[in-house]
Amino acid sequence: MKTFSVSHKTVIVVDHCPYMAESSRQQIECDMLTKSRAQGVIPLAPVSKSLWTCAVECSMEYLRILYDIYPARKLDMSAHRDILACTVLQVNYIVSDSEFHILNSWRQEDQSVQELMSALAAVGPPNPREDPECCSILHGLVAAVESLCKITEYQHESRTTLMDMAERVANRGRIICLTNAKSDTHVRMLEDCVLETIQEQNKLAAGSDRLMPIQQCELVLVHIYPQGDDTLVSDRPKKEISSVLNSEVHSVRAGRHLASKLNVLVQQHFDLASTTITNIPMKEEQHANTSANYDVELLHHRDAHIEFIKSGMHSIFVFDQCIPDCVCTGDLHMAGSTSRDSGLKETVTLKWCTPRTNSVELHYCTGAFRISPVDVNSRPSSCLTNFLLNGRSVLLEQPRKSGSKVISHMLSCHGGEIFLHTLNSTRSTLEDPPSISEGCGGRVTDYRITDFGEFMRENRLTPFPDMPVDAAGRAPFERAKAQLERHTRYWPMIISQTTIFNMQAVVPLANLIVKDSMTEDDLLTCQKTVYNLVDMERKNDPLPISTVGSRGKGPKRDEQYRIMWNELETLVKTHVGTSERHQQVLECISACRSKPPEEEERKKRGRKREDKEDKTEKNGKESEEKGWAPDSERLKGAIEREKEEQSESEVIKDSPDSPEPFNKKPRLATEELLSLEKSKGPVSLLSLWTSRITQANSRKHQEFAGRINSVNNKAELYQHLKDENGMDVHENGKATR
Amino acid sequence: MPTVVLMDASLSMTRPVSLEGSEEFQRKNLAVHGLTMLFEHMATNYRLEFTALVVFSSLWELMVPFTRDYNTLQEALNNLEDYDKTCLESALQGVSNIVQQEWGSTCPCQVVLVTDGALGIGRGSLRHSLATMKQRGEDKKFPLPFPFPSKLYIMCISNAEELQATDAMDNLEQLLTLSGGEGHIFTMDGPLCLKSVQAMFGKLIDQAYTPFHAVLRCGNLASDVQVFPRPEPVLLDDEVDPVPKAVLTEADEVGAGTTDDMEEDTSTNQMAGKSPNFCVLLHGSLKVEGMVALVQLGPDWYGMLYSQADSKKKSNLMMSLFEPGPEPLPWLGKISQLGPISDALENPYGEDDSKSPFPVQPKNKRSYAQNVTVWIKASGLQTDVQKILRNARKLPEKTQTFYKELNRLRKAALAFGFWELLKCVAELLERECTLLPDSAHPDAAFQLSHAAQQLKLASTGDSQYAAFEHNITPMLTDFSGGGGGADRM
Repeated sequence: MKTFSVSHKTVIVVDHCPYMAESSRQQIECDMLTKSRAQGVIPLAPVSKSLWTCAVECSMEYLRILYDIYPARKLDMSAHRDILACTVLQVNYIVSDSEFHILNSWRQEDQSVQELMSALAAVGPPNPREDPECCSILHGLVAAVESLCKITEYQHESRTTLMDMAERVANRGRIICLTNAKSDTHVRMLEDCVLETIQEQNKLAAGSDRLMPIQQCELVLVHIYPQGDDTLVSDRPKKEISSVLNSEVHSVRAGRHLASKLNVLVQQHFDLASTTITNIPMKEEQHANTSANYDVELLHHRDAHIEFIKSGMHSIFVFDQCIPDCVCTGDLHMAGSTSRDSGLKETVTLKWCTPRTNSVELHYCTGAFRISPVDVNSRPSSCLTNFLLNGRSVLLEQPRKSGSKVISHMLSCHGGEIFLHTLNSTRSTLEDPPSISEGCGGRVTDYRITDFGEFMRENRLTPFPDMPVDAAGRAPFERAKAQLERHTRYWPMIISQTTIFNMQAVVPLANLIVKDSMTEDDLLTCQKTVYNLVDMERKNDPLPISTVGSRGKGPKRDEQYRIMWNELETLVKTHVGTSERHQQVLECISACRSKPPEEEERKKRGRKREDKEDKTEKNGKESEEKGWAPDSERLKGAIEREKEEQSESEVIKDSPDSPEPFNKKPRLATEELLSLEKSKGPVSLLSLWTSRITQANSRKHQEFAGRINSVNNKAELYQHLKDENGMDVHENGKATR
Repeated sequence: MPTVVLMDASLSMTRPVSLEGSEEFQRKNLAVHGLTMLFEHMATNYRLEFTALVVFSSLWELMVPFTRDYNTLQEALNNLEDYDKTCLESALQGVSNIVQQEWGSTCPCQVVLVTDGALGIGRGSLRHSLATMKQRGEDKKFPLPFPFPSKLYIMCISNAEELQATDAMDNLEQLLTLSGGEGHIFTMDGPLCLKSVQAMFGKLIDQAYTPFHAVLRCGNLASDVQVFPRPEPVLLDDEVDPVPKAVLTEADEVGAGTTDDMEEDTSTNQMAGKSPNFCVLLHGSLKVEGMVALVQLGPDWYGMLYSQADSKKKSNLMMSLFEPGPEPLPWLGKISQLGPISDALENPYGEDDSKSPFPVQPKNKRSYAQNVTVWIKASGLQTDVQKILRNARKLPEKTQTFYKELNRLRKAALAFGFWELLKCVAELLERECTLLPDSAHPDAAFQLSHAAQQLKLASTGDSQYAAFEHNITPMLTDFSGGGGGADRM
């Protein structure tokens, strides 16, 4: 596919010379109702359109279809790539009499039927009294060639974007000329004139920045003559006049013949195809309780028929002979362009299915194509389009004599535009996909699904069409990515990996800290959250630390708080560089969580005797300035590691086909021995054996409560006495960890 | 992309290859060895691929229909029989039929032709087929190019010199060109032996069957993913941008939008099922929330991720690729203009999720969504005239509608240069005026003659009355109470 094909630029030239004021002799009865009304009234004479009116309304119809299917887009200068990836079709409308009148420009805002209608009204019908000698279509054709040389915004932008490859931007175009020619010689003269003008203009364009030489031009001459006359000009298929110019001649009677010719041309020129929706049930206007079946013909890009074209399913093409004096060749394989040239209309017939939506079918949608009804304001067409514009969908099935029904298309509307969707009706290579639970992480069961759902909802996107870049020069899309980055700096994926995100009390702070900028109020809220946590700690409130699989009551309360504070610090530290206030939140946490020195001292003493896990943790503390990544690792202290082991076995337990956890019973005191050994490098055979025996024995009896709570096998007696005196008892307890 | 293996089972495949100091091999054995290697690779690294096995000589036979069961394929391969001469054309026709029956004509397919390069003699040989190609009727067209998008890989169990000695290489190259040029001809380097056949199939695997690995990122959360079927590079415009666009292996998940389009499937291996994976988390939440995630695949190339469940209980994360471009789905607007909702003054989804900023409405309505005037068919014009007359008879109640329809007709008639119609309608209105019953409201007569007069003035083309933007307004009368304000639609 080429962006700058001949279809990129179309110039429509309409003859406005006196002879175009002639009547088409196709009569329209306007005075219809009188027949049933008062008698004795003489009906008014029928009206008939002039050749000019026929040419103008058919060219407007051509444009209506074009703009429906390829709507004009606003050029976004900030996104250079824009240009290279969209189909942009532009039209220039020129009227020719004693001089040329250009009714619009290549600019996008000028690409609308409304604008052109207004300009045409200003031109008015041709003046039959004007001197025919000084009027000619040639003025318009010369202007058309000049116009094709003018660079469009898209060509200009593409050349700028491609820089040194600017020569890749081609300049091709098509001229559709609606005129009344005198003879075949006259036609030849017009072609020669166009060719000469191209050659002249190309020379001029070579030396200009705003002009481009024409590489290829397609001239479509449509000779319009009144009904009942014999044509003076013969049809001629496309012929190469020179390497830059192709020309074809269509000789058509004014009126509906001209309309169907231009309908065929718009399909050829812009790769369109036709689908007729049949069996549309519609309530009768007169008898509201009966319904008749109607057909509606739609045009759309021909790719919506790709399945039919490729597989040669010509049997469903219906040949609709719209010009009575044309002979149908009947050769179904010639369904392509040849039959079009002979004036036959081809359409694919699809049957209306009772409307319903099924999301399963949506997933196999392979394309969506804009449509335009052929007969836009007929009652069946507007019934169908209004039905769709109101948000309903219609499934379409292929008419088949036998066998199951095959639904191949769907009509549905998105934002005021109707699209024909192609649905995959054959076997899909995506059938029977593996379950996600069979892959990596598929056996983990405590994902924070709900939290991530909330996260997604907060990160939803919305269009900002009027605000392309913010103060920092970021497009909305870049801002969305930046927000995702901020929001995921610390985001544990599973419930058992986190404490703070399981705590309602932390929510205000967690929501605010990820913000790009914090207000003074936000800072206060964060500080309040921290004070609240301090309060909770003082009151010894329980924390929602995951106790999954851990023995007994899990870690002691002060240990729980230590974990919680560490995690909170980790979260806040990842945002500390964002602003001064973010920094203040961290300072607040550090200040509040620090313990009285005496207590801290005691803790240290207690921990000296502990295993290495704590040392690594301190190392972690030092390295934690470097980044957040090791932090989450560090969080898994001695307890964490055990917990993780346990939670893993927990996870496995949930899956029916996973092995039994290897040790369901609590490991009790041996745990400590093991962890001691872990820290001391190579293990001797004796210690291995001892631990094994101890482990085996431990399962046979209830462990003495004192030993469970002992420090280095030393249990403090009469703890309750201390307790009653309100002294701290936790020092000993911690040793089990 | 399903694969058809088209295996030459003609007698020439049984030609022995001389190998020093080992048991005698036939070319067929080498071919089977190569295919075994391919099947083994697919079974482990490409296991979602559907593969069919067709053998051919003068006839062809579908040995194994499309399957993911590589044991069945291997078994069939091990039990190949030897037949008569090579007749490629009918076999290709067979492949074409098999693929279309199974997948239709839009599903891209890979054809792996395994042959020794002896392409038959006389009628039915490839040489004969190619020579007679232009002299055929519609019903006997050469099967290439296939009606479906395809890639043709030709695996020759012979070396290039051998093929070039005859016209075999030329014929195969011609075949590849005919198929549309996508694919490759592989020949064996050096002596015909197990090693060189392995090397040749290794090249095929590298080119056509390497799994697509990528990293899916959402901010700092990331996951390694394999995408199947693998996304192929796309050529957008062979003139302006002749380099095909390929999917970047770093996919950015950008945010969530609304729901629906194409296909791709992410799957991972069994290993490490126990450590948390972002894909699983994302899939779970997308499923629960009924949302889709927008994913960026390259510059101006996007897709979406969603949870896809087949009829059974299994579901997986699916990626649909959009057409490359800045605005793949018009109703989402330009992707680059989608930003976080936190930037909006108020939540566009509403506090209770009752609203949505999508679909984006186009600036201009399409013709079917606005009341356009088309008079191509006489009935279109007659309907419009009748509408005016119908309202004319219900004046003054229908004053607004009457003038609305009248102005619509006037505008179109002026644009089309159809002044005759204006005169005709003016006359119709004047006659209506004379036909008014005695019981009619006095205002009706005033409005009708006013409207008729205005139309007549417009039909003269006088710029004062025929301006397109000008509208005929109701006549101010003592009865209408200030410009037809009595009637509101």
